Amino acid sequence: MISTVRRRPRRWRFEARNRPEVLFPLALYLLFTLIPFYWMLVFAFRPTGSNAILPTDLTLDHFRTVWTGLGFGIFFRNSLLVGVATLLVVSVFALSGGYALARYNFGGRKVFLLALLCTQFIPGAMMLIPLFEIFRQLHLVNNLWALVIAETTFQLPLSLILMSGFIRNIPIDLEEAAWVDGCSRFRGFLAIVLPLLRPALVAVGSFAFIGSWNNFLFALMFMSNQSKFTIPVGLSYTLGEFDVDFGALAAGGVVAAVPVVLVFAVVQRYLVTGLSAGAVKG
Amino acid sequence: MSTCPVMTTNTSKTKHIKGAIMLERQGRQLRRGRHPYRPLVLGTALAMASGLLLAGCGDDDSGTGSDGKETITFWDNNGGPDRTPLWQGLIADFQSANPKITVKYVGIPAASVQQKYDTAVAAGGTPDVAGATTSYLGGLVAQQALEPLDDRAKTAGLESKIVPSFVDSVRKVATDAKLYEIPTSANLDVLWYRKDLFDQAKLKAPATWNDFFTDVSKLTDAQKNQYGFTIRGGAGSIFQLLTEMYSYSGVNSFFDTSGKSTINDPKNVELIQKIAALYKKDTPAADVNNDFTKMVAQFGGGSIAIMHHNLGSSANNVKALGADKVAAVPLPVAVSGTRTIVPNPVDGLVMFKASKHKDAAWKFIEFISQKSSNSTWNKTVGQIPANTEVTSESWVQDQQPVRDALAAINESGTVSVQAPYYLPEFSAITKTDMGPLFQKVLLGTMTAQEFADTFATKMTEAQAKYTKRVGG
Repeated sequence: MISTVRRRPRRWRFEARNRPEVLFPLALYLLFTLIPFYWMLVFAFRPTGSNAILPTDLTLDHFRTVWTGLGFGIFFRNSLLVGVATLLVVSVFALSGGYALARYNFGGRKVFLLALLCTQFIPGAMMLIPLFEIFRQLHLVNNLWALVIAETTFQLPLSLILMSGFIRNIPIDLEEAAWVDGCSRFRGFLAIVLPLLRPALVAVGSFAFIGSWNNFLFALMFMSNQSKFTIPVGLSYTLGEFDVDFGALAAGGVVAAVPVVLVFAVVQRYLVTGLSAGAVKG
Repeated sequence: MSTCPVMTTNTSKTKHIKGAIMLERQGRQLRRGRHPYRPLVLGTALAMASGLLLAGCGDDDSGTGSDGKETITFWDNNGGPDRTPLWQGLIADFQSANPKITVKYVGIPAASVQQKYDTAVAAGGTPDVAGATTSYLGGLVAQQALEPLDDRAKTAGLESKIVPSFVDSVRKVATDAKLYEIPTSANLDVLWYRKDLFDQAKLKAPATWNDFFTDVSKLTDAQKNQYGFTIRGGAGSIFQLLTEMYSYSGVNSFFDTSGKSTINDPKNVELIQKIAALYKKDTPAADVNNDFTKMVAQFGGGSIAIMHHNLGSSANNVKALGADKVAAVPLPVAVSGTRTIVPNPVDGLVMFKASKHKDAAWKFIEFISQKSSNSTWNKTVGQIPANTEVTSESWVQDQQPVRDALAAINESGTVSVQAPYYLPEFSAITKTDMGPLFQKVLLGTMTAQEFADTFATKMTEAQAKYTKRVGG
């Protein structure tokens, strides 16, 4: 079984190599995807005023501008803290909620699932003032926890749906075996289900982290302190009312993209498995 | 601690074997000293660490300390790599002069400033002092979020030191004609042009609209990817078009005495037709989507001879092309010979009504508005100073675009046509409604007359509602 799964991609690669009708559109698509990245790198490293298409004369001035001048060091730390905290909170709630949705048949389960789906249609901007009011009452304005809570609120519905779909695919018999052997439900979950959920956790966690990393609106609205802003707010500083610092914008873009690219590079194998398993049979 | 012993059943033997294998694996982990709860323990530890770090990032709002020191919060409406250090320098100077007041600086990105202010007003989280322009001042006044500054300005003798037309612009925004903003600087739409290309073609900077259209045509060489002009067809197109229309027609008011919009005046329509006729002939085809960033980038890239923008892109243009290759002139005089300008929004400082440190906030506003601060600020950003004592300084005379813009404003025959920022619908009409229609005009799917008529109808309706509301 395992060897069959491993052989499949190899055979596909062999076939694709000889099929230009597959390779050409893929190469074209890759080109469209990579050109903006190339543009960003060239602008980030070439001096202001240069029109060189190839990065021949390199400078780190734009990185100095964003890191020290604009305070990207602080923004980076804030984004990382909020991203990791959101990832953890979303993962814990998605695991517990997803398990309940997958394994228990309680009244109103379908309505609850429908409600979760419906929340996906509510734009974040609509919730700004109510959320601001709540955070103000809780003294959480200018506190990074406000961002974690807001992000979790918007990320959790999709994560719950994904996670419950994935858990449903794990045969209950595996857990039953553990119960029969004397494990509690919680112990059975930890020993049997949790290790099998690694791809799902990676998928859910990655989405939570990246969603939080990229969110601009909440960071700008709920924070009113220069030392609390996150990377997306820092990036928008480069777009002035009358002028745009393209070098700083591109350098900031590189700083913002690196963690996301790294996350994807590390987890992409699990991500595909997790998404397909959770989504198709949800 | 030991693992659960595994037993298989007849019903799902294979699955139970898998379960047994997993439990056996857990057992091996335990024997190696790796607890099966390890991920949970790690996760909890990580969550607690993040929690502690995040908890350390709590609120530190403005207030008064036990030593009598006050902290005020200042929101900069255009935070960025150029202006943030400038503000921080001015704040340091202010704090040296006023050791009992600390100013907490918060830079707000220009593109989102209105949304940030509106949210703060609606939910109750406004700062003590903020930068604002007259383009959204009316909305803040309507929400009763601002403190009128007339009395304080009068007592400090500040109003008399500010360019009168700037004060007038600010007062016109408020229905009660009170002074809700102390102007610090202003901007003016100008034609940026390539001196080197004009010299090569033996042309002079356009003084009339006829000169302009002739120069644009002569400076276009599509074979060499050189265009005489670039049209702002994307975001922000309408305000720029309005300044061109009134500068061309010489019509001296947005509304006639009966409250009817003058936008569809025949001369205004004529200008729209002439500009639309330049599209793709003397301008790049991509101009239909041009916002100011693309327009400035095109001009800086060297393919455009004339660009209509304001003084704000001065630093970008000089940085990209060099001071010797770029210059600016005010928009040409009207066909009638009169110089007619539609002033840009006036930038300044406002005080929020909810501030608990109004005296300290006023001290900061006063400090920023005084001669030395106003001079430092405007010299660096290349804008027109609001303080009349600064306008005669040598740097104003040395900066050609600022000098000529100021001269155009102060010319005795100049007619200033104030845009109706006081209309709550003005922003939506110019940005949301009319922007896409102007693109239709450029693409030839709508006539200039239809466009102007639609625009005028909307403005007339908005003005009528306003007049009714204020009891006019």
